[in-house]
Parts: sequence; C-alpha cells; structure tokens
Amino acid sequence: MNKKINFKHSDDSLKRTFKSLHAYDIAVLFDKLDDDEKERVVRLVDPSKLADVFVSLEEEDQIEFFDRLELPKKKLILRNLESDELKAFIENIEEERQEEIIDLLSAVKRKTIRLLLAYDEDLAASIMSTDFLTISEDLPVKEATNYIVKSSKEQDYIDTIFVVNSDKELVGFIDLKQLIMTRGNKIISDIMEDDFQFVYELDSIEKAIETIKDYDRNSIPVLTPKHHIIGIITADDVFDEIVESSEEDYEKLALISDFDPSSSAVRRTVQRLPWLMIAVILNLVTASFLSIFEVTLVQVSALILFQPTILGMSGNIGTQSLAVTILGLHMKEIDSKKVPKKHIAKEMMIAIINSLTLAIIAFTYVTVFLTLVPTGSQTPFQISTIVFISVFSSMFIAGSMGVFVPLIFNHFGIDPSAASGPIMTTVNDVITLVIYFGVATIAIL
Amino acid sequence: MLKELIKNGSNKEIIEFLNELHGYDLAELFNELDDDEKTKIYSLLTNERLAELVSYLEIDDAAEILVDFDIDKQKKLIEMMEPDDAVDIIQELEDDDQDELMAVLGEDSDLVKLIQYDEDETGSAMTTEVIVLTPEMDVKQATKKVIKEAIDVESINTIFVVDDNQHFLGIVTLINLIKAKTPCLISELIEQSPFVKDYDSITQTLEAINNYSIFEMPVCNEEQQLLGMITLDDALDIYQEEAQEDFEKLAGLPETVNRTPFKTALHRLPWLVLLLAISVPIALISSHFQGVITAVAILIIFQPLISGSAGNVATQTLAVTLKMFSTNEKGIFKNAIKEILTGMMNGLVIGTIAFGTTYLFASLHPVIAVSPIKVAFVVGASLWMTVFVAPIVAIVIPTILRILKLDPAVASGPFISTLLDMTGLTIYFGLATLVFGGLL
Repeated sequence: MNKKINFKHSDDSLKRTFKSLHAYDIAVLFDKLDDDEKERVVRLVDPSKLADVFVSLEEEDQIEFFDRLELPKKKLILRNLESDELKAFIENIEEERQEEIIDLLSAVKRKTIRLLLAYDEDLAASIMSTDFLTISEDLPVKEATNYIVKSSKEQDYIDTIFVVNSDKELVGFIDLKQLIMTRGNKIISDIMEDDFQFVYELDSIEKAIETIKDYDRNSIPVLTPKHHIIGIITADDVFDEIVESSEEDYEKLALISDFDPSSSAVRRTVQRLPWLMIAVILNLVTASFLSIFEVTLVQVSALILFQPTILGMSGNIGTQSLAVTILGLHMKEIDSKKVPKKHIAKEMMIAIINSLTLAIIAFTYVTVFLTLVPTGSQTPFQISTIVFISVFSSMFIAGSMGVFVPLIFNHFGIDPSAASGPIMTTVNDVITLVIYFGVATIAIL
Repeated sequence: MLKELIKNGSNKEIIEFLNELHGYDLAELFNELDDDEKTKIYSLLTNERLAELVSYLEIDDAAEILVDFDIDKQKKLIEMMEPDDAVDIIQELEDDDQDELMAVLGEDSDLVKLIQYDEDETGSAMTTEVIVLTPEMDVKQATKKVIKEAIDVESINTIFVVDDNQHFLGIVTLINLIKAKTPCLISELIEQSPFVKDYDSITQTLEAINNYSIFEMPVCNEEQQLLGMITLDDALDIYQEEAQEDFEKLAGLPETVNRTPFKTALHRLPWLVLLLAISVPIALISSHFQGVITAVAILIIFQPLISGSAGNVATQTLAVTLKMFSTNEKGIFKNAIKEILTGMMNGLVIGTIAFGTTYLFASLHPVIAVSPIKVAFVVGASLWMTVFVAPIVAIVIPTILRILKLDPAVASGPFISTLLDMTGLTIYFGLATLVFGGLL
C-alpha cells in the first residue's frame, strides 16, 4: 500500500493526493522527506486529517511534525487527539517542553492529561482513553440516541455507550447497533447488557489485554473502586501491546534485540555482540573448570566423540520446555499467581519419558558406533552405559530447568523470557559436561 | 460451581445459570466437566448457545464435539456460527465428516467458498456477513436497511458502500449515518478506506489492520469487488496464534496441544530423535581427528565454546530470516549480505577475545597445552570462521526449504545448531591438524 507522492506537482494537486491517501500512508512517508517537502505536508494535508497523520507517526517524529505547525493547527491537533494518544505524545517529549504543550490544552483536557500521566506505566489506566459517552439508565431510547448524535465528538469512541445509574456507577453498556435497532418507547435499562467485563484502574495492563481478547470485546471500561467509569481501553490499543510483547518474546528467544530490517550490519553487530560476549565468556569459564577432568579425557578418548551429541540433546529438550513455559505464562494458560502444580507435573512427566526414550536410543547408537569404529581401550558397552546415564540425567535436569527457571523468574517479578538467554544455555552445558565426565571418571578410573 | 449445580440443581436452575454466562466463561467451565456432564449440557443449551459455546472452544475440541451430533444438528450449529469460526472448525474435521457436512450445507453456502482459501490467505479469516449500501441511496432509506440487517452482522459501526457491480467504493460510519439529515445521499457521506485482497497473506493483512487501526477491514477480490470483512477481534486472535507458532517453531517445538503428558511427550519426541540422528556424523568427524585430539587434549575443553557460539549466531540470523520470509518478500538478498557481514564482525571480536583468554589459560596449564600460542590460534581462528559460516547456513537452509515449497521454519534453532556443530568441528579439528600436524 506504500504509495509514492510526487512533490513536483502543484500545491493544489498535492492537496488532492493527500486527500485520497490514508493518514497512515502519509505518516510512513514523512520521515524520509526533506525539509521543504515536510513543510508542504503539514501545510497541505487537510486539517481534519492532521491528527490521524500525527498519531501514525513514529514517536520521535511526532514532535518535529508538531513544531512545524502554526498555532491554530497545533491546537486543532491537540483537540482532536484521543486522550490516550495525547498522553503518549506528551509523555515521550522532553520534560521542559511538556508543560508548554499542556498549556495549549483546554482546561478540562489539561486535568485529564495530568490524571493520566500520574498512572504507573504498567497499569491498565495508563493506556486508557477518556473519550467515551455515558448515558443514564432511565433515559428513553429515543432521547438517548438524540443525545449521542448531538454530543459525540470526532474522537469519541461510540461503538459502545456506557450506562450509569443516578449514583454515577456503571451498571451496563449498550452497543450503538443495539440502540438504533430498538424502537420507540423503551428505556435504556430494559435493553442494556448488565453483565459486563471491566478492569479497575489499578489492575495491570495484562489483565486488560486478557479481558478484551478472551471476551472478544472491542472496548472495556476502566472503573474506580466505587465503580465509577473513568476511561475505556479499546481493542486497537491492545493489538499494539500484543504485537510488542510477542515480538519481544521472539527476539529474546533468538538473542536479538530490537530487530529492524533496515538497520545496517554494523548496527546489528553492536546490538547482538553483548549477548554473544556473555556466552563466550561463560563458555571460557566452563572450559577452565572442565580442565579438572583432563586425566579422564586423555584416558577415555571415546568420550569426546559423543560430547556434542549429549550437549545438543540436553539443550534441545531445555529449549522445548522453556518455550512451553514462557508461552504458557504469557498466554495466561499458566496462572502466574499460584504454583502451577499441574503444569509442573505434566512437564516433569514429559521430561522423564523423553529423556528415557532418548537415553535408550543413544545407548543403542553408541554401542553400534563403537562396535563399527573401535575407539580407545574401553569396551563399547562401558562407554554406552556412561552415555545412557549422562543423557538421561542431563536431559532430565535441562528439561526441569526449562520449566522452573522461568517460573521462578516470574515469581520474583522478572520477565520470564529473560531465562531464554545464553546464561541458561551455558549453565546447562556445564551441568551436562560435569555429569558426563563425572560419571566417566567414577565408572572407569 | 457448574459441577455442583449439575449434581444438585434442577434443570431450570442450570439453564438459568448457563444463559447468564458469556461464551468464553461457558467454554472455560465446560472444559472442566466429565463426559456425562457435558452430554447433559448439550441437552440443556439452545442451538444458538451451543453454537456459541463451540466457537469459543479450542478448535480441535470443537471439531470433536461437533461430529458427535447428527448431521442436521451439525448443519444448524455451523450455520449459527460466525462464518470464519465455522470455517476453522470445518477445516479441522476428518475428510469424510467434512464431505458429509459440506454436502448438507449445499453448494451455494458462503462457507463452501470460504473453505477454499488456504489457511494463510486473508479470505480464510473473513466473514461474509456485511451490510452494503449504494451511493445513490438516501440516508433515510440506508438507515432503514442497516437497522433491518443489523441483527445478522457482527458489527455495523462501519458500513461498506459498493456500486451496482459490487465494486468497493468506501465506507460510511454509523454515527455519520445517524447524524445525517434527509435529504442527503450516501455519496455525500462516503469516506475513503484501505482494503485488503482475499489472496493477500494473512500476515500482511494483520499488519495493515494494526497500522490503520481499523476495527472492520474490508476484503475485496482482484476486481475490487467487496467479499466480506475481517474484524479486529478476529485479527487479534489470529495474530496471537501466528506469533505463538513462530515462537514454537524457533524453539523446535511442535504445535502445542492440550493432551495427556504421555501424548505430549510423544508429540515432541520426533524432533528430539531427528536431532539425535543428525548429530551422528559429528561423532564420525571427531573420530577421524582422534590423533590430534589425543595429542592436544586441551582442544576438547574449548569445543563447547565453538559449537555454542556458532549455534547462538545461527539462531539470531535464522530468527531474522524467518521474520523476513513471513513479512515481506523484498530485501531478502540485501538482508542476507548484512547478516553475513554481521557474522564476520561478531566473529572477529569474539574470536579475538577467545584467542586472548585461551592463550592465558593455556599458559597456566602447561601440562595439557603443548604450545599455548598455537592452541590459542586454533581456538580463536576456528571460532571466527565458524561464526562467519553460521549465518550463511542459517540463510541457505531455510531458503532452500522455501524454494522446495517446504515450510522454511522447519529449520528451527536447534536444527541449525546441530548442523553447524558438524561444520564447526571440522573447521576446529581440521585447523588443529594443520597447525599441530608437524608435532605428530
């Protein structure tokens, strides 16, 4: 959908082009334009579309865009922004300039923004918008419709209207669709839905995301402890949050951070190097530690042949159970508050079954291999027994760590995906090698 | 809660309780019931509620439950569901059951058309129930039409406008429609709107929905005729599934399903066995270099360093490459060059670090290290070379799989790492043989 704009055209023709483009498409182009072209964009885009373009811009481009506008247009944008977008914009600019922009707001909006800015960033209330409509429950349908038609503003979310009682408590909601389908003289409380999902202002963002997703709602209300509605969270905001958090998980599993297809090789190197360095240093520490097994290694040279296999096996099963646990935690299939006994029991069973199966296969494989390719002075059976014990115990331990480490991280409030780093892999390697060489030392020497 | 009610309550009480529940909660409670209790629930729910319950269940469970009903009831339930949910479930059915159901639904059913789309095509996720207006309608007439048809569609907050040949022209928002006073034609209210095509990849469509923040995305065919729409809540669900799939594939994990531990274990086993199998050549390679290994025993303890680093670098490149495959076609070649350059630079840095550390370490252990400088050179140089090769393998393998029309993500992180172990060890021990060759 990426369209090109020809800036050689006259102002009038550009104006028409902008009119036919979606705000997002203009925003995507903005950052690559030169000074003169940018100036024409802010001048020629239809004022009613300015706010939409503004919202679609990258955070860092927003202030530049804003500064290019004349005062009336600045005020217009601020008026047309949804409150959650306005809050996000103000939050992202330097502190000295925040006040300057807040001063441009109307008195009511100023109050709202200060309120929103005060919420902690992982609270549901911090991503809410205050642009919604409430109606009272005893209103007749016709009056309600008239009220909505008259009082709704451009940025208001009106797909769902929230219903309050005389104490201003939220008692239900009604979809605009329902409202216009209902005829004549009914009153709102007859036709509203009184069974509704909501979050409290101090609930976490995750709770809001889960609620919207599970109940397939396009919006949910945010309530105070006294059940007064102070805002709404809409599904499009939740979409952004979900995209962000799943990309983060993926990147952490792959040890890449903030991947952007356009970044150069040097930038990629700089981003990834820290992880790799940690891994290298940890591995070198491991190496110095392993030198205590030197005698065993020299005497039982057949051990070396299977070292990569055993390391690989324990790493693989560890990655699997780690991924399952992280996914479970993030998809809320695992209850993060209590100890998830069911999940642990299941994963442990799986670890036992698969470690045992692979240990048996590895045993057979090593016996056959050493019979065909005799190595060292030990019998094939001796070596394959060592391999059997090592594969089983190291796979079992790696599988268990994949389950417990993210759970423990989560328990102490650390992001569980942090467990998918090189530290985990290297700890796994050390344990595996200690078991392998340790068993060999005991068995043969 | 529900369990007790089924045991002790009257049918009327149960029905009342069930009717109060949101479909999602109903499905959650339902999953905890045993077979007898489930059967009881079936008999108490109306077809409409039952259809709602089935569409909130996991798809494989839903399919299993659906086929247990007689074919007439199957048809009724399927027709009551939203088309996109219905299609998901039908696609999950065994071939015989699917054919039987399709036959009953008849050829004219929209479902029959929807089911022809591939799972990763936009068409498979759309619902065909939309209200359309034409530009020459008056707002009064249009409002009447919307009110009359509203009951059948998921959402009417945006209403689509088409010409006489079903070509998509734009949208009218419900609020503007209500606000407008007759006489006023729809053509005066119409707004431009982005749309997607039915054969676009679902990933692209999800991205468009997210970027444009559109609650109802119109879906058109090649001729720009309106076929249906994708709602934001469906897009959310699909996005989450896709993201989960990507994550699982990178971890070498087959699709997660809710089964007994034993079955799940069997499900994950093939991967582990396959990885074991492809590690067999590693032992063969090592046995080939037995001579140098026994002579320079210190080499062995640095072996995990070589294979670990190569595995890490390869996983990084693999993740980036798979992402590129699933989002955009362009720039893959350019991306490959960048990745290889990245590998070269990373390799140079960590190779140098490894060289220094190994030299220090080997000097401190004169017993096992014949010549510290040579050992350090072998470790540092092979680390560099392996890390240089890693991104190449991580790009070439998925690209070949893609050209062969296999799912490129089959090459998971563990898979690539194991392949690289072979390359890494050959380089490592090969270089060692060259360097120490004179000694032996």
